[in-house]
Amino acid sequence: MHESTVSFESAALAVEDEAAVDASAKAVPQRTVLSPVTLTLSEPRVAVIGANGSGKSTLLKMINGLVAPSGGRVLVNGHCTRQATKRVRRDVGFLFTDPLAQLVMPVVLEDVELSLKASVPDRGERRRRALEILERLGLDHLAHRSVYDLSGGERQLVALATVLAAGQRILVADEPTTLLDLRNNALLQRTFATLEQQVVYATHDLDFAARADRVLVVDQTRVVFDGAPDEAVAAYRQLALREA
Amino acid sequence: MRGRMMTLGLAIPGRSGIHRAPLWAKYLVVLAFGVCALAWREAPVALALIGLTVLLYAAAGRRVLACWADPLRYLWWMFAILGAHQWWLAFSAGATGMESAARAVAIVGGMLAALQAARLLLLVTELTVLMDGLGRALRPLRHVGIDPEALSLGVSLMLRSIPAIAASAVEVGDAARARGIGRNPVALAGPVVVSAIDYAHRTGDALAARGLLDHDDEPTG
Repeated sequence: MHESTVSFESAALAVEDEAAVDASAKAVPQRTVLSPVTLTLSEPRVAVIGANGSGKSTLLKMINGLVAPSGGRVLVNGHCTRQATKRVRRDVGFLFTDPLAQLVMPVVLEDVELSLKASVPDRGERRRRALEILERLGLDHLAHRSVYDLSGGERQLVALATVLAAGQRILVADEPTTLLDLRNNALLQRTFATLEQQVVYATHDLDFAARADRVLVVDQTRVVFDGAPDEAVAAYRQLALREA
Repeated sequence: MRGRMMTLGLAIPGRSGIHRAPLWAKYLVVLAFGVCALAWREAPVALALIGLTVLLYAAAGRRVLACWADPLRYLWWMFAILGAHQWWLAFSAGATGMESAARAVAIVGGMLAALQAARLLLLVTELTVLMDGLGRALRPLRHVGIDPEALSLGVSLMLRSIPAIAASAVEVGDAARARGIGRNPVALAGPVVVSAIDYAHRTGDALAARGLLDHDDEPTG
C-alpha cells in the first residue's frame, strides 16, 4: 500500500479580481479562491466534498502543482510543489473530470505509451508495458480503439490508465465520476478501490465520499470539516440544506 | 463531417509496402510532392501528382484508398473558392480563359496532391512513430534552445485539436439551431473561439499534470 504524505501549510490562493476594478481604484482588489489551509493527508483514501465553486478543485490542483498557492506552501512527500514541481509530478498523477481533455493521442494504446515516453526510451518495451497496464485494468480490448469511439466510462478508465502508467504514488482525481452513468460510475469506483496508490478525490457523490478513510468538507473557500466520512457527509448535508 | 474529422491522426493498420516503408522514406515522399508542386506549377504536373497519390493510396490497401476522396468530399468548397480566385487572378492579369483555368488547376491541383501525400503519411503511420521520428529528426534544434520532443508533441496536439475544434463547432451550431438562432457564421464564431481557448487551457493543464511539459533544467528539489 501507499506511503505518501501531502501537507498543506497555511496554503491559500487569492487572485486579482479584475471584475471588481473601478476606474478610481489604485490597486486591483483580491478575491479569495482558497482560504489558508493547514492539514496533512496520509490516509489511503481522502475525499473532498463541497458545493461548486467552493474551492475543491483549487485544493486538489495545488497537490500536483497545477495551481501554486499565493500564500503558504504545499509539500508532497517533503517536496514543495512550487520549488520542485517536476519532482512532485513524478509522485502525483491527476485525473480530470473530462477525460477527453486529458487524452492527447488519437488511439488508446498510443496515449498510454505517451505517459511512458519519459521513462522507457525503447518503443517496443513501451508498447509491451502499455499493453500490460491496459490488461491490468481490463482495458486491453480497447488498446487499438480511437479515443473518440469510447463511451464516457471507457474514456475515464483509459485516462486513469494513462495516469497509472506513469507510476506515481499519489492519484488526485477531480470529480472523476461526474460525467459517468451509474454503471460506469460503479466500475470506476471499483477500480479505485483496487489501487495501491494514495487517492485524493473530489466528488459530489456522497456514497463515493463515504467510502474514503477521511473526508474534507469545503465551503466558501474554507475547509469547514475534516474527519470521519459519516460525520463529514452529515455535516455537508446539514450545510447544504441550511443554504438551500 | 463529424465522423470523418474525428479520424484525423488515426492510422489504418496494414502490411503493405507503403505501411512498412521506413519513416524517413515516407517523409521524403511528402517533401518530394511539396517540392514538385511548388517547382513545376503546371497543370499536367499537378494532375500527374494527383494521379500518383491515387496509385499510392491504392498500394496502401482498400481501406486507405477509400479515404482518398475525403478532402474533396468535405472541403470541395474551399478548393472551388481557391480555384476561382486563381482563375480570376490570372484572367485579370491578361491571360485567356483557358490559360487561367490551367493556372488554377496547377495551383489547386498541386495543393491537393501535397495534402493527399501528407494525409497518406498519417494514414499509414502511427502517431507515436511519427512523433519519435520527428523528435529524432529535430534533435539538432536543441542547440538553438528548441526542445524537439515538445515540438513533436505540439504537432500531435495540432492533429488532435483539429477534430476537437471541429466537434465544438458542430456542437455550437446544434445549440444555436436549438435556440432558433440559425447558422449565422459571425454569431457562431465567438462561442467556437471561446470553446477553443477553453479546450487549449484544459489540454495545457492536462499536459502539465502529466509532466509532459516539464523541462529538464528545472530543479528537482
